[in-house]
Amino acid sequence: MIRVVALRKAAFAGALAALVWEVTLRSAILMGVPTFDIVHGLGTLAFPQGPATAWWPIGMTAHALVGICWAVFYAYFFWARVHWRPPLQGLAFSAVPATLALLIVAPQLDLIRLQSDVVHLTPEMLVPDLTMLQVGGLLAGHAIFGLVVGAVYTRPVGYRLDRPPRIHLARRRERPADERRHDGGFIFATGIECSYPTVERGSWRRDEMLETRHYRFWQRDFELAREIGITHLRYGPPTHLVFTAPGVYRWDLMDEPMAELEAHGPEPIVDLCHFGLPSWLGDFQNPDIAKALAEYAGALVKRYPWVRFYTPVNEMYVCARMSALDGVWNEQRSDEASFLSAAFHLAGASTAMTDAILKERADAIFINSESSEFYQPCCPDEEIVQRAALENERRFLPLDLLYAHEVSACMLDILREHGREDEYRRFLARQVPRRSVLGVDYYEWNEKLIDRDGTPRALGELFGWYVIANQYWERYRKTMMHTETNRIDASDAQRWLWRQWHNVQLLRDAGVPLIGFTWYSLTDQLDWGSALRRVDGRVDPVGLFDLNRDPRPVGLSYRHLIDQHRGQPEFRDCAALKELLD
Amino acid sequence: MAGFLSAHGYDPGPSQRPLFAGLITGFLATLPATMLLHVFGSLEVEARILDISVASTIVAGWVIMAIAGAVYARLFGRAANDPRGGWLFGMAFGFVVWAAGAVLVLPLVSGGKAPAGEPALGVLLSLVLWGATLGALLPFVHRPLHKSIESESRRVSIGPTGSLPASTAKRRG
Repeated sequence: MIRVVALRKAAFAGALAALVWEVTLRSAILMGVPTFDIVHGLGTLAFPQGPATAWWPIGMTAHALVGICWAVFYAYFFWARVHWRPPLQGLAFSAVPATLALLIVAPQLDLIRLQSDVVHLTPEMLVPDLTMLQVGGLLAGHAIFGLVVGAVYTRPVGYRLDRPPRIHLARRRERPADERRHDGGFIFATGIECSYPTVERGSWRRDEMLETRHYRFWQRDFELAREIGITHLRYGPPTHLVFTAPGVYRWDLMDEPMAELEAHGPEPIVDLCHFGLPSWLGDFQNPDIAKALAEYAGALVKRYPWVRFYTPVNEMYVCARMSALDGVWNEQRSDEASFLSAAFHLAGASTAMTDAILKERADAIFINSESSEFYQPCCPDEEIVQRAALENERRFLPLDLLYAHEVSACMLDILREHGREDEYRRFLARQVPRRSVLGVDYYEWNEKLIDRDGTPRALGELFGWYVIANQYWERYRKTMMHTETNRIDASDAQRWLWRQWHNVQLLRDAGVPLIGFTWYSLTDQLDWGSALRRVDGRVDPVGLFDLNRDPRPVGLSYRHLIDQHRGQPEFRDCAALKELLD
Repeated sequence: MAGFLSAHGYDPGPSQRPLFAGLITGFLATLPATMLLHVFGSLEVEARILDISVASTIVAGWVIMAIAGAVYARLFGRAANDPRGGWLFGMAFGFVVWAAGAVLVLPLVSGGKAPAGEPALGVLLSLVLWGATLGALLPFVHRPLHKSIESESRRVSIGPTGSLPASTAKRRG
């Protein structure tokens, strides 16, 4: 699949556009303008001499069907390829059907109307027999069609915040439960991409599970993960749909998948907050999210007491940055004070959820995934060097709060300036749970260059995961896990997988307690090329499987990697993980 | 469009058999298309234009359309496996086959003769139907033909050395 297309929306756009074309040009014809009459042309193929009541319905139906086909074609291949206003995109696209209609279809329709079975073609027959007014009508009709399709077919994925979709998961096919495997072996993980931030000033919900059709194929997805040999699955139930009000939960959206994971694996690492919040909680500027999410976490543990692994909040730094500093998601703010609010609230939510989970399950293991970041100054310019230094401190702030680690002097000054020092001290006084694992994600854009104008630009793989992850290890000295990576260029994904794996091996060999590796995600994702801000439905081919659930080469490589290593003594028994499980 | 498909990782990958699946599906999709040709009297007209028997026309058509099915499956790659959009991609391809084959090639090989009237309409509709059937069926024909993940993942090319750039491999050798 190359695009996720809203088929019904595209079909509606095509039919409506055909109708608007017909109403406009029929009015002109009725007023005596002898222009191109597509409906008459199509209808009289079936009823050459019939009355209007015979040819019009047939002609209009055929016209609408052709319109639907073109609109779906537009949705797959043209929509959002250029970032123009939607009606203009449709108008530009209409040149394609207009050209075909003029050069191929119109002359062929003339041939079809002939009374003989076979003709000897002459050059004149290959030119449409149309007057200038008819050519003008044909072009005008297509222009109207394109404008309407473009105006109607927008935002093919996601949904309006106040109109959540009605989701009913298919019942699972029950089979006897497998014996629980894999206790204490190295973790070979993937994940179901589940981001659900809001965009467009909080009016539009992105929901990657819906957009990648996981709600429909959830059971197949788990089967595919098992087929690859995955031992653990990073799985984020849709908190925004499950936790609908204080004390109100739609467990029906989770019960069947969780029962399947419990019975057959892979073992889930349950992710409770992935870049978004339930609508009623607003955004990450809301100081009450910690209390509310703790209630949710507690209820979830009671419902699924067998779950051992949790990620209370995924990538706190990225979430705070994108929501409150880069102005892309949720509250879409762009100032330091808002960033600090979001970072403190996210860290507060993470600690509150951790405590709530521990109250119900004292041996829970927390995989605190965070994006590994690094900023390199482009030049010795003092301002640029300072900016890079600040960013290299800022990246640690949420983890510093979570792991009760002292911030740097320059970050402390910023906290003081914004009246956050007392709150920070409260985090410092916290006892960090023993079973906390620092999850470090890494993508090709995580290393950035601070440009001469102060803009961070993606550098690609400059130092690599080993070096950057080591910076996090040196700071926190926590058991670690590689929790995300992928490559947006599918042709380079296999090479990237093995490179990341060799980085993991090197860090383990250096003595860092490292319990797992993750290719993220199981299937392709959507719109990460624009960090979800553009609602295009564009597929990022980063998955072990594509969205048809067909394996990608990197999926085969991952299976190869797992087969090659899981039986080796140092991976069959992972001392660092066993220590956490004890 | 090819560039767009390519940019989205459309390459079928080692576990898929697009040519084989396309060949089978192209062959299967020719059945309803042939029936439509017969209904519109196009078969007889095509046979007359090519100066061969109707049976030979059917056999030739079957072979050509099976090959066209394989071309479709390879061209569209992973997109051809999409059960939601396959019908449309196939229909678009059927239209192209009509525009290239029936409108351009047939008159060229027959000294300028072309179907007209109802038989010409039959040729157009049958190729659009062939394309839609091809596109709609292909995902379901292809899936059982996939090689297993287990066997394909054992190949050396899938392993750590297989994904190295060619220049590195040469230096190794």
